[in-house]
Amino acid sequence: MKKTKRFLALALALCLSVGLAACSNSSTPGGSSSPAADGGSGDASGKTKITWWAFPTFGVDSGYEQELADAFMAANDDVEIEVVTINFTDGPAQLTTAITSGTAPDLLFDAPGRIIEYGNAGYLADMNDLFTDEFKADVNNEGLLSSCQGRDGTYYMYPISSSPFYMGLNLEMLEASGAIDYVNLEGDRTWTTDNFVKMCETLRDSGVATVPGIVYCGGSGGDQGTRALVNNLYSSTIVSDGKWNVDANGVKALELLQSMVSEGALDVGNSMVASDELQNFQKEICAMTFCFGTSNEVSYAPIDDAYTQVAVPFPSDDGVPELEYLVNGFCVFDNGDQAKIDASKRFIQFICDDPTWGPKSVVKTNAFPVRTSFGDLYEGDEHMALLASWTQYYGPYYNTLDNFATMRNEWFNLLQRVLAGGDAAAEAETFNTNANTVTTG
Amino acid sequence: MATTKAPKRSLVLQRRETVVSYLFLLPALFFFVGFVIYPMVMGVITSFTDASLANGGQGTFIGLSNYIRLFQDKIFWKSALNTIIIVVVSVPCVTAFSLWVGSAIYKMRSGARSFFRCVFYLPVVTGSVAVVVVWKWMYAKYDGLFNYLITAAGGDALPWTESATMAIWCVLIILFTTSIGQPIVLYVAALGNVDSSLVEAAQVDGATNLQVFWKIKWPSVMPTTLYVAIITTINSFQCFALIQLLTRGGPNYSTSTVMYLLYQIAFETEKNFGYADAMGVVLAIVIAIFSAVQFKVMNGGTTE
Repeated sequence: MKKTKRFLALALALCLSVGLAACSNSSTPGGSSSPAADGGSGDASGKTKITWWAFPTFGVDSGYEQELADAFMAANDDVEIEVVTINFTDGPAQLTTAITSGTAPDLLFDAPGRIIEYGNAGYLADMNDLFTDEFKADVNNEGLLSSCQGRDGTYYMYPISSSPFYMGLNLEMLEASGAIDYVNLEGDRTWTTDNFVKMCETLRDSGVATVPGIVYCGGSGGDQGTRALVNNLYSSTIVSDGKWNVDANGVKALELLQSMVSEGALDVGNSMVASDELQNFQKEICAMTFCFGTSNEVSYAPIDDAYTQVAVPFPSDDGVPELEYLVNGFCVFDNGDQAKIDASKRFIQFICDDPTWGPKSVVKTNAFPVRTSFGDLYEGDEHMALLASWTQYYGPYYNTLDNFATMRNEWFNLLQRVLAGGDAAAEAETFNTNANTVTTG
Repeated sequence: MATTKAPKRSLVLQRRETVVSYLFLLPALFFFVGFVIYPMVMGVITSFTDASLANGGQGTFIGLSNYIRLFQDKIFWKSALNTIIIVVVSVPCVTAFSLWVGSAIYKMRSGARSFFRCVFYLPVVTGSVAVVVVWKWMYAKYDGLFNYLITAAGGDALPWTESATMAIWCVLIILFTTSIGQPIVLYVAALGNVDSSLVEAAQVDGATNLQVFWKIKWPSVMPTTLYVAIITTINSFQCFALIQLLTRGGPNYSTSTVMYLLYQIAFETEKNFGYADAMGVVLAIVIAIFSAVQFKVMNGGTTE
């Protein structure tokens, strides 16, 4: 009896703790269908069934994905589309689980960071046939096109729209504190690091906000904002010779932020990610956000028009920013069924290139079309015209570099260590080592 | 004739009952094997491979490499230390507090007892996400309830989850409040079952309340204490959702636990299932050892 009980206790403990770790190989995301398990592309009606997993880039619960699917199916009665919307919190883990358990969707709407990782690992169908000379000429942006390619040059993502990431400021707080004197609201609004520091100090001294700004570093959510801040302050780059590298100017920027935090000109958010910082901006606890974009402007718009939000590019020592940017696009999983791959590609072209649905879909992403032939989809909108003018400041796109996910984890930990008083140079060296350590096959 | 036929019918009946019993067990057995045993075995096997997203989760055998890396991984050790702190602090606190509350309320009138049971059990039945979101707001640096009260009283706001030294205590407080509900209910039931004649006899003999507790009640509720200790230990070792929602293991890994690190490695950063499974296996072994020690110590070496 004693042995039996002991065995049962051991078995229970083993079951409980190993179960989670092992579920990566055995479980599927709840509520989604399994294309691979269908046993083929067609059903009794002879239709090709495809499953589309979409992050809420067209808006949360907008229903636009289903609208697109219905419109496509009405014009293509040989295809049946199941729409599954996923969110940015659980979606990535659901995708990882689905891919490794052989139940990946046929079609995914996402961004290059994950898509190229899947492509490089061999899960995706190549999209080379969609990148015609006409399309490339229409996009006319080498950097943007290369963000859709895997390390061997294969195209894995078909892009639809793009938009820059930038900073947001609270106009009334700037005016009340006098910090407005340091912000350029003329032309394309570029400004310098010196003025950024003075603006933060003025905001601090005036006390109009609880804190001038928050360098959030509690996780990887929205970390492109803090990277853009660091990289712009002294025109540094995080990639050197294809490796993750915080260079000497990056260290200088980290030291500047460290001193600003210690002097109260900025605050650190050790347990905050971008969404937390954005909420504090929306609640007027801080006067600026480092994670503004076309989508966040809407999601975190002022409540009851309590203040005016102002978009500015990131400040840099030479006044010429290098902005991070978002690319929205589609990929097709290679689930071993050519009919599904073909149907998925047809659907992608319908969403992106159809004369009616293409421009409409771009506008739904609240971003700018990658096709120049679509022209100005926001005619008469001065704000969107300003944001469009910032595309000239797009920096190098590095989200497709190997170890991107590991780098992101190392990034927020680097900020935490430096802003807690750590030696910036030594911590940057630790980052450079850890972010480049390849631990997966 | 009758005496010879009766056992035969009984045997048939017995066999039929046995078959029916197994049929009733079959659905549960199916789920147990499919969702517990199979993943567990796969987890152990995968821990000896380099399975990752990059190779479709179908890694090749690499022997003990994952385990060797694990013992050289400073972050794993930091997470292991945090896990141990959580277990060592939470298990005695939860057990002792539950016993204390249980002792205080089990003699109350039915209505009052139910009220307190409800109050303490509420965090258990409330969704963990809702609980953590509320606590997160209370801990919030700028507009949180705690800092509001502190500053209103003239004090300086505290960094709570922003601080590497305070964050783990913030986690422990939430874990404590969500863990005491079930033990309190169990202790109230266990204490209610203590033979009152023994207590009365001891009191007549002049025993103090403390003596009554240690000599009569404590031995009577020992099986409950053992159960509470083991379940709290396992829950504390597996503390995950709370950390994922509150601190994401930070600041600077100060609240990272083995369970959380395992998830990060498997699904967020490396997507390295082999290494994550190695962590899972080590965690399982540690939990088993802790449970066995608790069993031994709390039952005084006898498990019967």
